[in-house]
Amino acid sequence: MEGGASISRTEAAQRAQKDASRKRRSWTVIRHAVLIGWASLIMFPIYWMIQTSFKDSGEWVTWPPNWIPEDPTLKNYEQIFSFNVQESGVARQATEQPFNIWGALLDSIIICTSSALIALFMGTFLAYAISRYNVGGKRFRHSVLLIRMIPPIVIAIPLLMYYAIMVPLATDAVLGVRLSLFDTRLGLSLLYITITLPFVIWMMLSFIDEIPYSFEYAARIMGAGRIYTIRKVVLPLVASGMVVTFLFVFILNWAEFLLALTLTHPDVTTLPVLLNKFQSASEGRLYGPQAAIGTIITIPVVIMGILIQKHLIKGFSFGTIRK
Amino acid sequence: MVEGMFVVILIIPFVMTIYISFLRWRANRPFEQAYLTGFRNYEAVLSDPGFWDSLGRTFYFAGFAVLFELVIGFLLAMMVHQVTRGRRFYITIFLIPMMVVPVVAGYNFSMIYLDSGPLNQILSPLLNFFDINPRIRWLSDPLAAQWAIIIADVWQWTSLTFLIFLSGFSGLPPQLINAAKIMGASRSQIFFWVELPLLKPAIVIAVVIRLMEALKLFDPVVLLTFGGPGTSTQTIAYYLWEQVWQFNKYSFGAAASVLLLILFSGLIFFGIYLISRQSDAVDRGEV
Repeated sequence: MEGGASISRTEAAQRAQKDASRKRRSWTVIRHAVLIGWASLIMFPIYWMIQTSFKDSGEWVTWPPNWIPEDPTLKNYEQIFSFNVQESGVARQATEQPFNIWGALLDSIIICTSSALIALFMGTFLAYAISRYNVGGKRFRHSVLLIRMIPPIVIAIPLLMYYAIMVPLATDAVLGVRLSLFDTRLGLSLLYITITLPFVIWMMLSFIDEIPYSFEYAARIMGAGRIYTIRKVVLPLVASGMVVTFLFVFILNWAEFLLALTLTHPDVTTLPVLLNKFQSASEGRLYGPQAAIGTIITIPVVIMGILIQKHLIKGFSFGTIRK
Repeated sequence: MVEGMFVVILIIPFVMTIYISFLRWRANRPFEQAYLTGFRNYEAVLSDPGFWDSLGRTFYFAGFAVLFELVIGFLLAMMVHQVTRGRRFYITIFLIPMMVVPVVAGYNFSMIYLDSGPLNQILSPLLNFFDINPRIRWLSDPLAAQWAIIIADVWQWTSLTFLIFLSGFSGLPPQLINAAKIMGASRSQIFFWVELPLLKPAIVIAVVIRLMEALKLFDPVVLLTFGGPGTSTQTIAYYLWEQVWQFNKYSFGAAASVLLLILFSGLIFFGIYLISRQSDAVDRGEV
């Protein structure tokens, strides 16, 4: 009797354990199902764009829509990349200018790269000052990022006036030439440096804070000057952080739309503005070329984003997580 | 030197915007010939129903979008935190929308909402059952267009709240959770009494940052609806852009800018206050 009871007790315990593990396993399955569901929701719009970019003009808007292009073609890419835009068909006849993707690509690359580099240079030294000498006090670390939260449209109108009226008037008075920052690469780059600087400072702060001060102290004791210490001790240690910050800021500039739309026309065009121009075309929307441009804009930044992903997870704690 | 640069870069444009907001100036007349009208532009802005409607609509979009982003982002971060296998894969995929250029995201969704787009195709069995023509033009209906923009925003920015919550979850101290477990706390008790209070700073940050960003909403509106049908999807950013760049009402735009700058500065200082209060509490070890 006693033996039987103990056996049934262990059986019950085993069953309970099995139930628990089955429950845990079914939870795992549900979790994975939800996560995969969300992942496919996320990838679907991107997939749709990429597959549209390989469709020929007759297939862009069919009913029912094809999920896989019936007859994959590179025509859309050929069209947007051909030099002689007038002849190859994408250009609108009655409008002022052909779509020039080479110009937009060049403008985007020059503006984004140069402004990211300059912002990185300035921001690294500012972050060093904030980290080591506590410039601006404790609150400054948080407020630095919140500067970015002013809606760009609110500063776009003053900037339009400034670029298009004030600067010409000032250069007219001082140099005797009317120079304008409106619709120039310089004007847009200066603006991008200003609005991304808070991000650079904030990211570089987290990298510089990680370097123990004793390294610099040792270098200073051994007779190295202040600048020499920064150059030979600090900068090599934050080099990878600088690469990450550069890529992050580049992505921000690359995606910027409102200021590029409002402060340039018609000479300088960035890629997002170019994509938008296809939309307002009088002869209906050119879905295929739009999809091709969208794919070209998206792929490099997504690759960059995946490269710096690990650092983003670390960086987005905003200093509110205990070390 | 530094003061000089400060004056040139910050003060002059600001003063000039205020000056222009007192002028009566449109693009049809050169700047030198504009004349002063006092507070007329401010009166015009404040009495324009379009201004108030678009401001209210911006908060309505931002409110709903941020609500969904917070809930979905939190749940996803929690699940990814619990999952062991395939974690890096999920994180990589979930962070992609953040990298996608907002204009491209707007374009993608405009393709999906098309009357012959995949959304209608997926819904068509259901719609045929109710005898509705499946080729619905989603963006031609005011309410549907508004929610189309909210959904596009949720698609793109849930990745940011997910990122903030994920770094929050991975910063949770395991000692405290183990201690609670040993003391016999159930899973829901651990969640509500240990983990949630520890995640409060991350939640505050996600709310503040996303809300501020959502108030800027512009790109998907341009790509999806051009503020239409009618004015039903005009956000404040789109409204101002239309007033200044389409209708060339410069002085009007300057006055509206000054008013909005005051409003948003108030919100931003409140945001700074909330965030720095959280991190002060962390520094003191109270959380």
